[in-house]
Amino acid sequence: MLNQLTSMIFTTSFGYSVIRITAPILFAALASVVAEKAGVVNIGLEGIMMFSSLFGVLFAYWTNSWLVGVIGALVIGAIFGLIIGVFALKLKTNIVLAGTAINIAGSGGTIFLLYMFTGLRGNTANLTTPQMLIPRINIPLIKSIPVIGPIFSGHSVLTYIAFILVAVVWVLLYKTPLGLRIRAVGENPNAADSVGVSVLKTQYIAIMLSGALAGLGGAFMSMYYSQSWNTGITAGRGFIAMAAQAMGQCEPVGTMLSSLLFGFASALGNKMEGLPGFSSYLVASIPYIVTVVGLAIYAVTQLKKARKRG
Amino acid sequence: MNKNNLKGFEFFRGLVAILIAIAVAFIFIFICADDPAQALSCLLIKPIISNGALNVKSILTILGRTTPTIFTGLAVCVMFSADQFNLGGEGVTMLGGFIAVLLGIYLPMAAGVHAAVAIIISAIAGGAVMLIPALVKVKLKSSEMVTSLMLNYIILYVVLHFLNNTFADRTKGSTQTYEFLETAKVGTVVQGTELTYGFFIALIATVIIAIFMYRTRWGYAIRMIGINGQFAQYSGLKVGAIIIASQIIGGVLSGMGGAIECLGRYTTFRWLELPGYGWTGVTVAILAKNNPIFVPLAALFIAYLNRGCELMAIYAGVPAEMLDIIQAIIFLFFAAEQFLSKTRQKLVVKEAKQEISAKADVKGENA
Repeated sequence: MLNQLTSMIFTTSFGYSVIRITAPILFAALASVVAEKAGVVNIGLEGIMMFSSLFGVLFAYWTNSWLVGVIGALVIGAIFGLIIGVFALKLKTNIVLAGTAINIAGSGGTIFLLYMFTGLRGNTANLTTPQMLIPRINIPLIKSIPVIGPIFSGHSVLTYIAFILVAVVWVLLYKTPLGLRIRAVGENPNAADSVGVSVLKTQYIAIMLSGALAGLGGAFMSMYYSQSWNTGITAGRGFIAMAAQAMGQCEPVGTMLSSLLFGFASALGNKMEGLPGFSSYLVASIPYIVTVVGLAIYAVTQLKKARKRG
Repeated sequence: MNKNNLKGFEFFRGLVAILIAIAVAFIFIFICADDPAQALSCLLIKPIISNGALNVKSILTILGRTTPTIFTGLAVCVMFSADQFNLGGEGVTMLGGFIAVLLGIYLPMAAGVHAAVAIIISAIAGGAVMLIPALVKVKLKSSEMVTSLMLNYIILYVVLHFLNNTFADRTKGSTQTYEFLETAKVGTVVQGTELTYGFFIALIATVIIAIFMYRTRWGYAIRMIGINGQFAQYSGLKVGAIIIASQIIGGVLSGMGGAIECLGRYTTFRWLELPGYGWTGVTVAILAKNNPIFVPLAALFIAYLNRGCELMAIYAGVPAEMLDIIQAIIFLFFAAEQFLSKTRQKLVVKEAKQEISAKADVKGENA
């Protein structure tokens, strides 16, 4: 059985699927990083992804262009980020509750909105045309390298963007004035305020950026991963993303690594489905167990560090 | 502002939140129903009145549907009161239902005792599971929110694993367990409705939790931690132990709710996804402003809307999922502390002016 497993993992198609499965988690996890750095907890990622995955498909359908769909999903994501922002920052709703409300709205509200706009119930499989799907690209040179090629080439445009965004978010946070403001506001809002940084404005920007990133993750799900929108399409990825962010210690690169870990566990689960002796359900629970244990271990190391210092 | 005016204002604000949500619902209905008038009457009137008479069956069903959300609502009240954003009610409800049904199938006992034992063991299991996020938070200072969210999915998959691979009744078309014994059933009060005796247990639980939160030292300590955790610590409260206790109570209530729901409304265990009561419980707790005594009322309101949306889906073709949007809007405005703050400001100013002029009058008279 172990042989079977190792022979499964050490294939190029497995490597390919790890990257494919990681991408949407990575989008949402980066979204979580940006918000968290500014001191706003975006727990609404799940709901934002639900809305943007739906509207991505709808925009693509109306214009028959995947690009418009992706941009639409990004904008919708930012708008829902703004909604959380307005309620949390202006109207002083507890931000965890504001995010929870968006999640509640996203789970069933999307089914309703789909019906309102198209008369369809539950999924958009009938709408899908090839022009609406995010295209795959083969990378010249890399494509022809054995092993590396089949793993890293032939992904969708958005998959590459997800991994490029890791660098972009890092640069944004650590090499730009906006990033400095975001970190300052997150670490000590009063201090930031005293040197003339507008705390509110920075937090609005961060939560909207966060929403936009989650929006891309939504577009990835409905316009590439599942090829159409259906109920429960995000399946808790927004929550996994929060865990990935926490495990990655809220740093872009660390978050990418923990997202890859989730991608790996998920891909493994998919592969093991149907194998005798393995329960696909138990395998599916691995990423969540890893998160709880991982967070606990991280917390223990932090406590020890604090004790040594103290 | 004096206390009465403040309460009046809070009431007014809640009303505005509900009106906004209903206005949004109206807009949606006008866009998407073929016959908006019919849809509206389904949403607002039909749940209690049909064919010009009170629809008793429907009313009792609405009451019955409050049962699980009263439990999860109470659970959230207690957990959030200690300033812990534990969102594990969802998973623990599912676990409670699953364990209760299994005990109902495989542990034969006398009628009455059977149901009670099944519910109590499910409640204990629920409390034990909630220990995890509580301990992780108190001992390791790791976010209870993330842990509890993960816990939901771990429970979901573990339950599905055992349901599919160990306890499934293969003779049935859909995945479910065998039927539990008649002795474990939580009885229905009026046949043909969804009202079970579980509803009365929920009301009793409400009274107990309300007394606990507002009339006991522990309840007071939980609320103090919620209001100002540091102050509570400095004043000598055992903050860690109290937080853990509050989360266990939340788990016990959620597990109980799941058990009663499964043993009352169904004959087998058939939840293949998270049941959603945990999230509705958050809404209920928000509507009740974290005060246990208002939880049944809030649950009733949501159950009413739930039934209305269901009827609207049947008779007017508007998807019942509209409920989620209405619920989210009410939720957002209810939880918004600064919502209508300008009106409040005006009220305060007006009152202050009156007071000043009243004092001036008194002085004038004295002089």
